[in-house]
Amino acid sequence: MLLKALNLSKSFQGGKVKATQDVSFELQSGNIYAFLGESGSGKTTLARLIAGLERPDAGELYLNERLISSPTTHLPVEKRAIGFVFQQAALFPHLTVAENIAYGIARSRDKKDRVQEMLALVNLEGYDKRYPHELSGGQQQRVALARAMAPKPHLVLLDEPFSSLDTTLRYQVRTELFQILRKSGTCAIFITHNAEDAMLVADEILVFKEGNLIQQSSPETIYQRPASVYVASFFGPIIAMTDELLHSFCYSGEEGVCYYLRDHNVCLTNEHEFKAKAVVEGVAILGKDYLVSLRIDHSVIQVASITKPTKSELTVSFSAAALLSFKS
Amino acid sequence: MYRPGRHQLLKLKRDFNGWSAASLLFTAVIGLPILVIVYRLADGPGSSWMHITEYLLPGYVGNSLYLMCACSVLTICFGVSSAWLTVRYDFPGRGVLQLLLILPLAVPSYITAYAYAGVFDYGGFIQLVRAFFSVGASRIDLMNIHGLAFILSASLYPYVYVACRIYFAQRAQSLIDASAVLGGGERSLFFRLMLPLARPAIVGGVILVLMEVLNDYGAAKYFGVNTFTTGIFKAWFGYREPETALYLSAVMLLIIFLLIILEQKQRGKKRFTVESPANIKSSKLSPGKGGKLVAFACVFIPVLLGFFIPVSQLIYWAVLTFSSLSWNHLISVIGTSLGVACIAALFGVLVAFLLVVIKQFSHLNWVKQLAKVSILGYAIPGAVIAVGVYVPSLFIDKWMMRQMTEQYSYQIGLVLTGTVAALVYAYVVRFLAVAYNPLVASKEKILDGLLESSQSLGVSTFRTSLKVLFPLLKPAMIGAFLLVFIDVMKELPLTLILKPYYVQTLAIEAYQYASDERIMESAMPALLIVIVGLIPVFFLNRLMLKS
Repeated sequence: MLLKALNLSKSFQGGKVKATQDVSFELQSGNIYAFLGESGSGKTTLARLIAGLERPDAGELYLNERLISSPTTHLPVEKRAIGFVFQQAALFPHLTVAENIAYGIARSRDKKDRVQEMLALVNLEGYDKRYPHELSGGQQQRVALARAMAPKPHLVLLDEPFSSLDTTLRYQVRTELFQILRKSGTCAIFITHNAEDAMLVADEILVFKEGNLIQQSSPETIYQRPASVYVASFFGPIIAMTDELLHSFCYSGEEGVCYYLRDHNVCLTNEHEFKAKAVVEGVAILGKDYLVSLRIDHSVIQVASITKPTKSELTVSFSAAALLSFKS
Repeated sequence: MYRPGRHQLLKLKRDFNGWSAASLLFTAVIGLPILVIVYRLADGPGSSWMHITEYLLPGYVGNSLYLMCACSVLTICFGVSSAWLTVRYDFPGRGVLQLLLILPLAVPSYITAYAYAGVFDYGGFIQLVRAFFSVGASRIDLMNIHGLAFILSASLYPYVYVACRIYFAQRAQSLIDASAVLGGGERSLFFRLMLPLARPAIVGGVILVLMEVLNDYGAAKYFGVNTFTTGIFKAWFGYREPETALYLSAVMLLIIFLLIILEQKQRGKKRFTVESPANIKSSKLSPGKGGKLVAFACVFIPVLLGFFIPVSQLIYWAVLTFSSLSWNHLISVIGTSLGVACIAALFGVLVAFLLVVIKQFSHLNWVKQLAKVSILGYAIPGAVIAVGVYVPSLFIDKWMMRQMTEQYSYQIGLVLTGTVAALVYAYVVRFLAVAYNPLVASKEKILDGLLESSQSLGVSTFRTSLKVLFPLLKPAMIGAFLLVFIDVMKELPLTLILKPYYVQTLAIEAYQYASDERIMESAMPALLIVIVGLIPVFFLNRLMLKS
């Protein structure tokens, strides 16, 4: 076990803003994790606690079984060997690319080789003499990653590393950065508010809301078996299946359980077991699929469909396996 | 077993690092003069305190209050009108005038006072003009409290002008546009919108003016007006009673803290700042011919009064006395002046840099709050700081002499008192804020991520300061050095009290000639101070126009 948090709490402004509340988790080495949550969910504070940039009010943090943070102990940032890649690349403007990468490497004979190795890893050979302002945003982020990984940290934290990049660049840099991380085998924590980013890169996702950890699972599990409605809705639109709707589909649900469906799990055909008659009220194209407004008896729902409905009245269906159920 | 007391202690131990200790140390060292004044109050005042409270204090209070009121009104008139006119209207000479408006900052107010005394003197420019046109019988006497208020205002209004100008030009553009769209006239725009909104800027500027008014010694002394600061000098040099000087200083400190509290209070809960999109460029209004003339006159008069008239007088005197000048002496004074200013500025910037580092890396909030004490010096008159430095340095010297004699039967002289060390220390206390503020402003523009990256790469906080913070703050430090350097060059009251006999600065030189009624000869050192003082004015201009 690489990193273990135990009931970690941190608040700001004299306790008024509770950024992280009673958070516990365990992370294994070699994996890539994503901390997912809206802004204000406490994911960044947690990352800063791990890096040692903040000090907890309560709880404990262990790195390789060693206590590094608690209300009474604090291993200084510089002694943790935890890399941090910031939102803005935060490269030292007065140093060249090579000097930036070499900054954290201890004095040794193979310092130069390590810099070249890192430049090769991030595909920036020949850029060593450049200054940060001479690089593009994506190149800057790659140098920032190289700089963070050069001292061979136990763990690298990446705090929204793409949010300062524009959309097209963002996809490219995302793919590149995580290929680099996979290649190096370094454990990484990726902090993001974007569910798609998290699913694409992470072995495990930790979802945060208002300072609390809600769920820690693999992307598949988290998508198919979300721990709460909140988590479910984070990964795409969901439809609340009211008693009335369930009745229309002839599905009898349990008492005290709420049911939801993802918007593409309602099919515009009668291939699944629970069926209902629907009237098409509107169709809009979203790009790769269509957003279809359906009236089923007295309820109106919006579903996603790859095919455009041809008739205005049709039979729609869903399968019981696709139902998300939560105890209310 | 959970014990809250012990827990708190362990937490304190976790968060208390070397920087916290350094911070406490610096706070103690820099805050010492203030502490000394407060502490020594318990010893009671000297024997002339009764005499002073009975006969002199009401006069000091009355005069200082009058000066403060009159200077507030006058500097607001000069400063706000010229700021608004140059921001809002287009008229011939506007571009040059908006730069010239801050020139009076280069002339210390005691030098303006000397020059004006000459202008209005028998045989001065005003008398010659009056004789020529043969108007009026009696001479206009400027050497009184009203004249002093006028001179201080003419030389200090730029503080209000700069504060307002930055506000009008930077913050208020979208509001001006809104008012125009809503069909408000120019008059209602100014009086109903701009004036109330600019209040914090105006008050901020006026507070700086008032601190300078309280700090002034040279002008008041020359004009024969008794103020708090001249009172401190009288108690110190006249009655030879440091205890009484301490009591006067304490009263003055009280007034200043009231001012600071007032400034904090007036901001209150209201928000005065409106974020304006940066790229709005609105064209200036172009008034008619008469309007242009009035605007030009309104903006030109303060520059004329605060800069051109006094400087012309100085140049005239300098030319008259040029042949009788003792160059050897003057060069040695220039050398000493530059040397002392350099040393003080170097220390000031160094301490300011350390304070920035401490603020960054100390984790205890109360320690950081406490550290704010160390930049209070800018608010405290030089004479008060001098008293606060003199008393403990003499105490330490006496103690050291006694120790050396008792322990090693070795005689030593005064190590601190009356030496350059005490003088430089006092300068640092007084001008630390001047160096600290630009450094902090510059530090805030640096991404926190830079320093945090450095730390997360395994580099200690100390080396992070040297390898990242220091190189990035270098330009700001050069600016800060210049600002302190020039303030030290101009400083008079503190230097008068603390200077060793062998240190002669340009400011002292000008002051002594003026006190010896050899005012014409004070022109050369005075002009040299003005020339040096012009350097930061250009920096400030660039800064103000950029924003």
